[in-house]
Amino acid sequence: MAPSGSAPRVVVTGLGTVNALGSSVAEFAAALRAGTSAIAPVTLFDTEGFRARIAAQVRDDAAPDALPASLRRRLSRSDVFALRATAEALAESGIVDAVAPERVGIVLGGTTGGMLRAEECLRARLEGRSTRYLPDPIIGSPISVSADVVADVFDIRGPRLSLSTACSSSGNALGTALDWLRLGRVDAVVTGGTESLCRMTFAGFNALHALSLEPCRPFDRRRSGLSLGEGAAILVVESAAHAARRGARVHAELVGWGNSADAHHLTAPHPQGTGAILAMQRALANAGLRPDDVDYINAHGTGTPLNDAVEAAAIRAVFGDAAPRLAVSSTKGAVGHTLGAAGAIEALATILALRDGFVPPTVNLEEPEPEWALDLVPGRSRTATMRYALSNSYGFGGNNTSVVLGHA
Amino acid sequence: MTTNSDDLKRRLKELLITGLRLQDVAPAGIADDQAIFVEGLGLDSIDALELVVLIEEHFGIAIPDEEVGKKAFASINALADFIAAEQSRGA
Repeated sequence: MAPSGSAPRVVVTGLGTVNALGSSVAEFAAALRAGTSAIAPVTLFDTEGFRARIAAQVRDDAAPDALPASLRRRLSRSDVFALRATAEALAESGIVDAVAPERVGIVLGGTTGGMLRAEECLRARLEGRSTRYLPDPIIGSPISVSADVVADVFDIRGPRLSLSTACSSSGNALGTALDWLRLGRVDAVVTGGTESLCRMTFAGFNALHALSLEPCRPFDRRRSGLSLGEGAAILVVESAAHAARRGARVHAELVGWGNSADAHHLTAPHPQGTGAILAMQRALANAGLRPDDVDYINAHGTGTPLNDAVEAAAIRAVFGDAAPRLAVSSTKGAVGHTLGAAGAIEALATILALRDGFVPPTVNLEEPEPEWALDLVPGRSRTATMRYALSNSYGFGGNNTSVVLGHA
Repeated sequence: MTTNSDDLKRRLKELLITGLRLQDVAPAGIADDQAIFVEGLGLDSIDALELVVLIEEHFGIAIPDEEVGKKAFASINALADFIAAEQSRGA
């Protein structure tokens, strides 16, 4: 049930990803099911001098072939991930031949864009490896560039937005795509998020003592911080009627979403989880669901002491008596915290869970906090038939977003 | 046997490759009469701007406007002729 009687149902008909667990949706799904962790020593840049030296880094990071030389050369790592994930999602959705380019929108989330390239240009100049400042940082580093590049390459001419709300960025992108389709502004939307590791985020989280020295262990009693990750996930979404008319394969339904702000602190969540609670409640109301309709929550679950405690309490507050029969897991021990791409990568994990009938495990979780009394799916995945699931994304500054996904 | 002009052309090709960070291109892979922009090497107007700076930095020769730039940047041959002409004018 949509909030308004006339709002169309919206479905997901294309999936694509590049992340540290896999270079395709099939590889990602297999690794999720197997409970693999991709968190390992960082080789992308020198981590000498940092407390933490690990992250879930993408190893297969080649730029796509068959692009104009000038474009290919200027792509940031975030652009590369977004382009490859979009190519996969569009190819399998078949949407390109079915819709006019002006009726396709794009809304992506991200937090640092081409920061890594900007860092490299400035370092080259400061270290005397380059004799002048290059235009690359201004051309390639703004967060808006990945959506621009994707739209140019794939000829997407409808509304375009780039959202940056810290680690909830791509959760908000998915919600915005849902709103556009409900409002009839477009016939299809390419949505998701992309994020590349860079020194700025690594150094910043390191300085905040937010990085775990060992691979992160969400919801564990011994959790000591998060592990960064990178990658992109892209979804093609359209109305259920539109998908049915063109005979598209439906992976899942995008049922609703909600967001809220803590208005409390630059990095810490509200101690009572008021923002997280509000976002989950709004998402359920927007989807027309009750708490006991939900079978699974893909938690934000970063592995920091504060996030996991507040999120677990917020889930208990929203779900009450229904909480003990929920499966709640965090995929960040597997694929890392991909910041602006996290909402999209984790929504993808949730879609695969619903579609393929399994609960992704909380990798590295060994000793769940007993007082939370939640089924936190430690270590191993299990098969399950599920109808509805929630994907939570919470960002610095008190940005909270929850997205509701449903079995097709 | 090489001439001054051959040396200049080789230097220009190396400058293009290192200055514009061309991947997977060797000096021998750039023909003297090949178009530098759009078709040919596939460079664009942002590269042109960078190339103007590179030529000024390495040869002390200014390219004042698009008119001059279009002619000078047509090919390696055209660029070598332009630089040789400017140098002899200045001498």
